[in-house]
Amino acid sequence: MPQRPLNYDTLMQSTRRHFLGTSALGLGAMAMRGIVGEGMAAAQPTGTHFPAKAKRIIYLFQAGGPSQLETYDNKPLLRASHGKPLPDSVRNGQRLTGMSGYQSVLPIAGSFAEFKKYGKSGVEYSDLLPFTGGMADDICVIRSMHTEAINHDPAITFFCSGSQIAGRPSMGAWASYGLGSMNENLPAFIVMVSTDSQKDQPIYSRLWGSGFLPSEHQGVQFKSGKEPVLYLTNPDGTSPHARREMLDALGKLNADQRAHELDPEVDARLAQAEMAYRMQTSVPEVADLTKESAATLEMYGPSVKTPGSFAANCLQARRLIERGVRFIQLFHQGWDNHGGLPGAIKRQCQQTDQASAALLKDLKQRGLLEDTLVVWGGEFGRTTYCQGKMSKDSYGRDHHPRCFSTWMAGGGVKGGQAYGQTDDFGYNIIKDPVHVHDMHATMLHLMGVDHERMTFKFQGRYYRLTDVAGQVVKGVVA
Amino acid sequence: MRFRPTPLQISLAALVSCVVFVVIWQNKPKHAATVDFNRDVRPILSDRCFGCHGPDANKGRKAGLRLDEAESAGRKLKSGAIAIIPGDLKHSEMARRILSQDPEELMPSPELHRPLSQTEKNILLKWIEEGADYKPHWAFVSPVKHEPPQTQSADWAKDPIDRFILAKIEQAGLQPAPIADKTTLLRRASLALTGLPPTPKEVDTFLADTAPDAFSRRVDAMLASPRYGEHLAVGWMDLSRYADSWGYTGDGSMLAWPWRDWVLKAFNENMPYDRFLTEQLAGDLLPNSTHSQKIATAYNRIHRMTFEGGSIAEEFRQDGIGDRVATAGFGFMGLTLECSRCHDHKYDPIAQKDYYAMAAMFGDIDENGLLSYHGEAPAPFVRLLKEPELVREQELLRTIEQADRLHLNAVTKSLSRPATQLTIKDLPAPVALYHLEPPGKLGHINDAPNGKPARGGVTAIDGIAGKGAAFDGDGGLLLDGLEKFGRYDPVSFSAHLKLGEKNNRATLLHASDFYTGDGDASGLEIIILDGRLRWSVIHLWPNSAVSIETTQAMAVQKWQHITATYDGSSKASGLHLYLDGQELPTRVIRDTLDAPVREKTLQLGYRSRDAGFRNGAMDEVTIWRAALTSIEVAKHHNNTAHDFTDAQWREHFALREDPEVRQTQAALWKAQRELSELQDKAPRLPCMKASANAPKTYVLTRGQYDQPKLDTPIEPGVPTRIFPWNESYPRNRLGLAKWLTDPKNPLTARLTVNRLWTQIFGTGIVPSSENLGLQSDSPTHPELLDTLSVEFIESGWDIKALLRRMVLSATFAQSSAATPEAREKDPANKLLSHGPVLRLSAEMVRDQALQAASLLVEKVGGESVQESAYRRGLYTYRKRTAPPDSMLIFDAGSRETCQPRRLTTNTPLQALVLMNNRLFVDAASKIALNAQKQHPTDVDQQITLAFRLICTRVPRPAEFAALKELYVSQKANPSARAPIPIPPPVVKTATPDPKVKKADAKDKKVETPKRPEPGPALPLRADQAALAMVCSTILASDAAVTSR
Repeated sequence: MPQRPLNYDTLMQSTRRHFLGTSALGLGAMAMRGIVGEGMAAAQPTGTHFPAKAKRIIYLFQAGGPSQLETYDNKPLLRASHGKPLPDSVRNGQRLTGMSGYQSVLPIAGSFAEFKKYGKSGVEYSDLLPFTGGMADDICVIRSMHTEAINHDPAITFFCSGSQIAGRPSMGAWASYGLGSMNENLPAFIVMVSTDSQKDQPIYSRLWGSGFLPSEHQGVQFKSGKEPVLYLTNPDGTSPHARREMLDALGKLNADQRAHELDPEVDARLAQAEMAYRMQTSVPEVADLTKESAATLEMYGPSVKTPGSFAANCLQARRLIERGVRFIQLFHQGWDNHGGLPGAIKRQCQQTDQASAALLKDLKQRGLLEDTLVVWGGEFGRTTYCQGKMSKDSYGRDHHPRCFSTWMAGGGVKGGQAYGQTDDFGYNIIKDPVHVHDMHATMLHLMGVDHERMTFKFQGRYYRLTDVAGQVVKGVVA
Repeated sequence: MRFRPTPLQISLAALVSCVVFVVIWQNKPKHAATVDFNRDVRPILSDRCFGCHGPDANKGRKAGLRLDEAESAGRKLKSGAIAIIPGDLKHSEMARRILSQDPEELMPSPELHRPLSQTEKNILLKWIEEGADYKPHWAFVSPVKHEPPQTQSADWAKDPIDRFILAKIEQAGLQPAPIADKTTLLRRASLALTGLPPTPKEVDTFLADTAPDAFSRRVDAMLASPRYGEHLAVGWMDLSRYADSWGYTGDGSMLAWPWRDWVLKAFNENMPYDRFLTEQLAGDLLPNSTHSQKIATAYNRIHRMTFEGGSIAEEFRQDGIGDRVATAGFGFMGLTLECSRCHDHKYDPIAQKDYYAMAAMFGDIDENGLLSYHGEAPAPFVRLLKEPELVREQELLRTIEQADRLHLNAVTKSLSRPATQLTIKDLPAPVALYHLEPPGKLGHINDAPNGKPARGGVTAIDGIAGKGAAFDGDGGLLLDGLEKFGRYDPVSFSAHLKLGEKNNRATLLHASDFYTGDGDASGLEIIILDGRLRWSVIHLWPNSAVSIETTQAMAVQKWQHITATYDGSSKASGLHLYLDGQELPTRVIRDTLDAPVREKTLQLGYRSRDAGFRNGAMDEVTIWRAALTSIEVAKHHNNTAHDFTDAQWREHFALREDPEVRQTQAALWKAQRELSELQDKAPRLPCMKASANAPKTYVLTRGQYDQPKLDTPIEPGVPTRIFPWNESYPRNRLGLAKWLTDPKNPLTARLTVNRLWTQIFGTGIVPSSENLGLQSDSPTHPELLDTLSVEFIESGWDIKALLRRMVLSATFAQSSAATPEAREKDPANKLLSHGPVLRLSAEMVRDQALQAASLLVEKVGGESVQESAYRRGLYTYRKRTAPPDSMLIFDAGSRETCQPRRLTTNTPLQALVLMNNRLFVDAASKIALNAQKQHPTDVDQQITLAFRLICTRVPRPAEFAALKELYVSQKANPSARAPIPIPPPVVKTATPDPKVKKADAKDKKVETPKRPEPGPALPLRADQAALAMVCSTILASDAAVTSR
């Protein structure tokens, strides 16, 4: 496992006509200079602006909008007021989605799940999250997240790219652009989507796209099965030996072309083919979970043995982190619980609780948690009131962008705390709001990047992940 | 900037900075040439200063200082200082600030992290010293022609283009590269003009043709080939964000390919660019607009749309308009218009108001911001009737017109007869009568003599006859025993109503599934809006519907008897509303129904996700499959009523008794139904259709859809500070097209010429080919760009002629192999001191492989297909949320929004595609088999042919040797046996069913065409496998993936 940058930048070096030496900056940042077309040459290689506390990020994205009220934000008042209409004064005329906006009554729904305090810090978690609660002293729960979008597509796009408008680079693409990769055999940004989740709202490649950044920064999707990365596997009957011979011949073709054209781009092309060859070995190796110890597998829970499950992907994430992947994003769907929430969220928590906690524990025992940032959360939260008719033992919740919970742990995060506070109805934030842009700014800060300085000039404008906003949330940082 | 120093501080600071300045000035670079504002100064000012001291007047402008205009830059500021005093460095505050050592004073502010370099400082200082001469931005001044410059070498140039290029090459002390060999030149031209390389046969023919015009004849043939249009269309598809799916959640299929066919045809027929622009922007507004011109306007409708539950229609309508403005900005103007959606542009003279003036241009249709969940093409649309059907449609329209006249005559005749006092024998029999008598089971009311009982959740209340049904706003009654009502079915609905409150919005009756901001409100519908009763029959709201609304609000807390009738005519005049037997005064809201209406089960008092009849009650609901006359309505209300006017009797007689009226009506309806049958079969393409019903446009505060500045409606317009508006133009999209194609418009021709230049030479004369604004790159050859732009206009906007000139130039014909000297002095080939080098695009890489393997299915136009259908990449089905992976890896975009330019990258994933993607593996095997077939015994010939099929030229000895060695080794190694799969059959993709489809939330499936299963694999012999591996190697080589 390469611990320091090798010649990855030469490899990831793209088209343009001059090569740059290695540098103290992240590799991708250097590679960038080579890649950007002439007209776009203003890209400043960013790299870190101050020492990084986190070298890598694992983002456990919970798509659909997990309810904060059954998980991280305990509201006894709602249980006491179950079924009563939500006072207008709480809502204060804020917009609702078109799904419950015309509902004639908005009855309060108390959480069916009970909460208790965990760890030395005594932060409250619901009974649905016993394993996560077990890691309470490492986790900073942010109860005061808020966003601007109220529908899934714009909201998840906003979270993943800092803009509701499609076409901006995703978080991981920015990380790849700004900090580059730390290995020579794997992409800097890898994405995995759980196969064991309810597919209630779609996940699409825009969420890990490179937007206007060069396409090499786009996330590479890892899948379970024979071909973890698209087009990785040689055609049937082509042995690694045959591939090696083919690459040797390719090297000779390109060497002759280089000699004839005097164009260094030809070398870059060959370097890419060589890296592809190395990926053919390194990816199957990293994707092979069978070498993990029984104790490790057990820690992640029984579903770790199901390829592509959230648990398997968490374990996979750890293996990728060990090999120097910069940014890993998991997507787990099924949190869009408009109706039948109690049953659905129990299932969701069962699928994710143990493995999320195991990932933290696993990273910790390997000494990786201190410089790996782990984030858990969705695109918005859910309403205090019930959407649709409330029955004796079931209810649903609509989208709620005004407050919701998410958590961060590891790499420079001050664990063992709950940051921010919502009102007793769980409807509005009353202390320390954290906007999506703030969270992005904080994530970058932990990575040693000033979010205002990591820019990319596109169509005449300097773009940032945080657009024109965002403040580092100091209270979250250790 | 913080301008608050005391006079003492100023003088001290000035002293310090003078010292610093002197030091710097002494170290200034030696170039003594004068500073050119456009070339040297403006890019610095724009990039570092205008963000705070530029055209944005809203906020953001600091210290009241504006540096983009001479006058304001020289004005005394509040602080007393003057930023720029031409020629007076010592007293120009700007000079002091950019040299300041004090971080509080230094400009640009260190907080921005974009400091000036020493050279940049020198340029600014020199500029001030030389008189701070401002010049307008070059791209905002109309282009003029320039004489081609004199060059030392007199016989190199073949076209005036070459003299502009050569002059700069010579200035740099370089020589143009020698002419490329014929094969290379043919490949380069063929790839540039058709996207495909020449075949070995074409090369041989060309090599054998020694006539002086051999190359120009080949170029003419390329321009005449339909492949030319297919190649040019790719870039236009990127710019126009063409795709085959809608792009948001669900991402169902969008029918858009007929518009792509229009583009193909336009390019291939060499439609003049001004017409190309005009028809797409304003085809619907042209006099006697043709079917084809209407299709062209789909350009503005193929942006993303959503049907996600809970979305707000106005928010997405504004996003759609914003997309149109941005796309037209990039596509036709080369400006980043969308920057002004929230505030004045930071760099370019585009005020926020200008943006909304453009938005008013593009928001002139009567549209819904949301898609129908059920998949209908959003209105307005054009029906894609085939040629004979179009003729038949016209015939039927004439028949209808005639039948309508006959019917009207009959009615008029009937009405002018002396009133005959008739007695009403019987009212038409209702098809349903719901007494709504509780208590039923669970408190529901069930009584329906003509079908299944009503079902649902209501409570009992004292009614008009016995009990009535009270509604809570969230639940209601489902009338699922009834036959459905369509667009041509007359219907009457009557009920006693009691409003518990003045409902802002309440659904009384509807036939749709659920409510998504009107996106799906379709079918019969009676609702209360602001207390008023609205009665509608809807295909899609608002553009295809008939609808009337009462002028008065309904009374509250009182039982009232309402009746709504519709005569099946698809006209607003066929809708009537009555209160207690008397017709209510109404106004027409829409009269545009032209397509089928949804025929779901009728529901009373509620609709999923909509406001129900909260606090309201109903009783005695009666439904007829007939339009009651006003007398019948009155009689139904009160059977003893008899006080009717003569007019009412005449009307009743005409409609119920007069045989001539009934006959003419039947004839009219027959023709109408026949027309519908013809029309409803045809797929619908969303298009532009200007409408008086389009909402007004306002400036939106910070671009927020829900914060319009209602006090100032915005008229359609353009950014006039870039180019003035001509008042003789209509203030609409047609006027916009005229403004854009005005020969003096400084942007249109330059943008287009530059884009075509980019297509041929890889990099534009303005490298930032998507942006000509102040933040754009300076043109490398401004005089050439301007001259070509004027000549382009003079040629009648002739695209092919311009491309022909470029490709036949000496510049284009140079060898791409640069000398070490040229590579050092001109590393990015900005001077074009050697021939262009381009990495093939995603489409070209795959098309070339397919052609080399004789697998390419060449068919021009038509619907999109799966990649495995082996058509050209242009036709690959584009699902916006899941773009084709192998193309994405080669830098194609997702087509979610306009992509004016693709960046070229080089990644390991590209190598994996070339080695392992099914298409390339198949192609390699097929090329090998074909080569063997042609040269059954001669391996050397096989290898050479394979190389020529892919890379066009003959392999050089070293290349051949490497491939031969590979062949020998692979053949000797029995493990290297690749199977040859038989290519899958060409499959058609699913086209959205134009008819209303039944779908509900659970079984809603995204329509993605299925990937066909590949055919069975046949094992290859060792020699075949070895040659296949050789071909795979060639496909992955530099010579294959580049045009050199």
